[in-house]
Amino acid sequence: MGPTISALIGAAENGDSVAADTLFSTLYSELHQLAKRELARRGGAASLSVTTLLHEAYIDIAKRDGPTFPDRARFMGYAARVMRGLIIDHARSRNAIKRGGEFEITSLKTDVGEKSVDPKELSMISDALDQLVKVDPELAELVDLKFFCGFSFAEIAALRNLSERTVQRSWEKARIFLHRNIRADLPL
Amino acid sequence: MCKLSPEQWHALSPRLDEALEMTDQERSTWLLRLRVEDPTLASQLELLLEEHRVLSEEGFLNVRAAEVPGAASLAGQTFGVYTLLSEIGHGGMGTVWLAERNDGRFERRVAVKVLNIALMGRGGEERFKREGRILGRLTHPHIAELIDAGVSQAGQPFLVLEYVEGDHINHSCDQGGLDIRARIQLFLDVLQAVAQAHANLIVHRDLKPSNILVRSDGQVKLLDFGIAKLLENDGQGAESPLTLEGGRAMTPEYASPEQMKGEAITTATDVYALGVLLYVLLTGQHPAGSGSHTAASLMKAILDTEPTRPSDVVAAQTNGEGATTAADRRATTPDKLSRMLRGDLDTVVLKALKKEPKERYRSVTALDDDLRRYLRDEPISARPDTLAYRGTKFVRRHSVAVALAAVAFVGTAAGVVGTLVQASKARAQRDFALRQLARAESINDLDNFLLADAAPSGKPFTVNDLLQRAEHIIERQGHTNSISRAELLTSIGGKYVDQDEDTKARQVLEQAYEVSHGLSDPSARALAACALGAAFARKEFPRAEDLFQEGLRELPNEPQFTLDRASCLMSGSWIARERDSAREAIARSEAARDLLAASPLRSEYTDLRLQLSLAESYRAAGRYRDANSAYEHVSALMSSLGRDDTQTAVLLFNNWAFALQLSGRPLEAERYYRRAIEVSRADNSDEGVSPMLLTNYARTLRELGHHEEAARYADRAYAKAQLSGNQVVINQSLFVGARIYREQGNLDRAEAMLSELEPRLRKVYPPGNLAFATLETERGLVALARGDAPSALQHTNQATEITEAGIKAGLGGEDYLARVLMPRSDIERQVGRADDAARDASRAVAILQKTAEPGAFSSYLGHAYYTLGLALQAQGKMEAARAAFRSAAEHLQASLGAEHPDVRSAVQQAGPNAQRQ
Repeated sequence: MGPTISALIGAAENGDSVAADTLFSTLYSELHQLAKRELARRGGAASLSVTTLLHEAYIDIAKRDGPTFPDRARFMGYAARVMRGLIIDHARSRNAIKRGGEFEITSLKTDVGEKSVDPKELSMISDALDQLVKVDPELAELVDLKFFCGFSFAEIAALRNLSERTVQRSWEKARIFLHRNIRADLPL
Repeated sequence: MCKLSPEQWHALSPRLDEALEMTDQERSTWLLRLRVEDPTLASQLELLLEEHRVLSEEGFLNVRAAEVPGAASLAGQTFGVYTLLSEIGHGGMGTVWLAERNDGRFERRVAVKVLNIALMGRGGEERFKREGRILGRLTHPHIAELIDAGVSQAGQPFLVLEYVEGDHINHSCDQGGLDIRARIQLFLDVLQAVAQAHANLIVHRDLKPSNILVRSDGQVKLLDFGIAKLLENDGQGAESPLTLEGGRAMTPEYASPEQMKGEAITTATDVYALGVLLYVLLTGQHPAGSGSHTAASLMKAILDTEPTRPSDVVAAQTNGEGATTAADRRATTPDKLSRMLRGDLDTVVLKALKKEPKERYRSVTALDDDLRRYLRDEPISARPDTLAYRGTKFVRRHSVAVALAAVAFVGTAAGVVGTLVQASKARAQRDFALRQLARAESINDLDNFLLADAAPSGKPFTVNDLLQRAEHIIERQGHTNSISRAELLTSIGGKYVDQDEDTKARQVLEQAYEVSHGLSDPSARALAACALGAAFARKEFPRAEDLFQEGLRELPNEPQFTLDRASCLMSGSWIARERDSAREAIARSEAARDLLAASPLRSEYTDLRLQLSLAESYRAAGRYRDANSAYEHVSALMSSLGRDDTQTAVLLFNNWAFALQLSGRPLEAERYYRRAIEVSRADNSDEGVSPMLLTNYARTLRELGHHEEAARYADRAYAKAQLSGNQVVINQSLFVGARIYREQGNLDRAEAMLSELEPRLRKVYPPGNLAFATLETERGLVALARGDAPSALQHTNQATEITEAGIKAGLGGEDYLARVLMPRSDIERQVGRADDAARDASRAVAILQKTAEPGAFSSYLGHAYYTLGLALQAQGKMEAARAAFRSAAEHLQASLGAEHPDVRSAVQQAGPNAQRQ
């Protein structure tokens, strides 16, 4: 059995890049497994919200790792980052071939019309986010939580112990940054 | 290269924070100012803000990555026997879903309220259950019914509510073109429902059109008793944090004055909101007037402005387009509408909208009764406003600043927490430095809240009330970030120190100190220690000094702690001043100055504090010239920060006036003291005025020859000093009182005050303190007045010895010596020792010439010349004496004004005698 998620988070926070990679891939497969399991349990037709998925992952892993497990806010930060990867991979694969048997992260009912973000644009946003991580990691995490995982401002504010207004303002800033880095042709 | 570099971003990011909080108008003036300071940054910001505007319009990133709009994530999930269909709303606590039964037993659609995941385990569940309990007790045809409550398989609590498909009541009335009577009928249905809730001791607290729906069949339904507060004690206690949190969740447009002010919420709160609703239903306008409102202007209107009578509102619109439609929607003409509203309906609406809860309808039922009477054309119970009532409006004005301040503070506190949480992890130095600056700024904001906003009104809320309130707010946030808690407590404690409320200051600062000790943040620990040290300065010198040194030691010798180090040094300077180590005080302030001069982190606020600290230290050392120039600097900074009317300004004017007084400029001193008193005084009482200020003012009035007024102020000062328990102030007021009563010939009273004073001084000061020199001088002058010259001489000799030793030890400036030499010279002359008298007097003149500002006139110097003149006269040196009197007349006239009796006698001695020669 490999190191616990707690141990990996600890090592990653201390600058261990191998641990960071392991953390990422472990969380990735955990979330993936969990999503499949949950969907099976709820019956194939049902859908699963990303926030619910993360919440359940938290409960699951916290139970397993015991008292050393980090707080919800920290966990959600990492998990949201992983979730982004998961969503983007999913979007890309869906774009490539319509494979069966994969889980749907949300229900995409045909009668509503598919208006989700274009996979290419998703990739661009994700690349810009990688830039933002280097400049302002907390803004980047906020985008993961809000845009990729669907947390509301209120939820993020509660997670981070901030005012909703502060979260919203950070969100506005993050949008400016991302947009600017995606459309590099804009003058400054 | 147009991507943002990290450097660019770090420069822009805090500016964006600022800009995004502003209105368009504020932003453009702000940018204009910034363009002068930093044109590049300003134009970059302008571009980004324009981009932001476009982004917001486009809704960039508004569609979630993994979501289809309209079919959000919980759709299809089951809660109990209900399957969620689509989201119909969301709020701070959770989302509301349209749902239907999945067991086929019942066709009815319901609304399912699901708690936000993030709130689970944080008291959210409890609140949820609470809401369920409240709703469960309410059954009324016009209140949306609670059908079921439970916990989902995944452990998520949910409520099942009657699903109401309808339109907001005001829209519904407009759509249907309902006339005034029909609108009132519908409104009466709302009143019935609210009355039923009140009968169950439930206050809605958030009545507004979006919570009052009208179904297509015309039935009214009230929704969302989510923030209802139980009037009774339900085991949680009426003051549980839940109700407090609920208190903040109001909707400004429909909030009552008491909600704005954070006061008790009762059924009258609902009466007010219903009054607003009725106003809107009748006139189509909000009582605060049409047009958009900023939060502040809306709040001002709610607290301060008496609403225009509904009939006048619709009459005023006759010419405009709006009125035609408002009347149209009410199936009438503007003219008829105005006539219909004039009289009883005006009276009813305005009574419901009274600022004072007690003045509103006593109950919803009473409002209901009056409206029914109106519909039946019977006389209503409410009476129109009388003139007397209109007069009382004036009194209420003061409450605004305070309520605004409270809101500003909540914002500030949140700001501080935000800044700190974001930077709490170990980060690059730059971030750290920025955080330091942000912290200084947010504490600056706290000052603005506590002082700028509060001080002009002063009463009925004193600054201390506000501090208590701020303390209370922090108390309430007990579980939040403890760094910010420690810092805010430290800042509040500092304000108490400024207010001479040492006992309270120590209480708060002990708390800050304790909290800070659990923290690894050296800044918070150091600042808390130094601030506590400052609060102990007057009580326990050794402890004060220890804490200051401890604070300094906490701070690593690295550039990012510069601001903290400077701040600690300023506390240290204060401690040194309070211990009368003027030299050390200057050394510490100047060290702070040098640190800040080399630091990029300084701001106007830190400059302000620094200059004040320097000014105080120079003043303590008798370097009045340096002190005055520093004070002038402070005053200019204060004006530029818009703080002319703040408690900090009171402090500045008091201390500046004191320095002016000590440099022999009582006329100017009197002006600044008066200014300080005016800022801190309200309702023409001295309630908000510090006793030290009153004491100082009395002293200056005495010097200017206004003896009776001086005595009055001295008495008040003494009484207030006693109440405050501040020993230093009590002592000072006794000194001043004794002097004034002696000069008025009330020697017994003067002596009694000195006797009261002596043991007090012995208790707090070491024997060599200059206070004892002043005491001996006063004793001497009393003895002289009683005709006991030998004893008088003995006292003044002692005073001189103490002063000379004290000056040598660095306890004060040489001018203190001049002030004991003058009375001694008078006494020596009167016992026939003219040579001694002349020697002392010329020494006093020499000292004062040295310390005075060149070219400036000084009352002290004038008195010294006068004393010298008398001594020279006694020696028979008439020519020299007249020269001295001429100088005396010149100085005294300029410093005391031509009308002063001392000026007249100096002129007399100099002039006619000269002619007689």
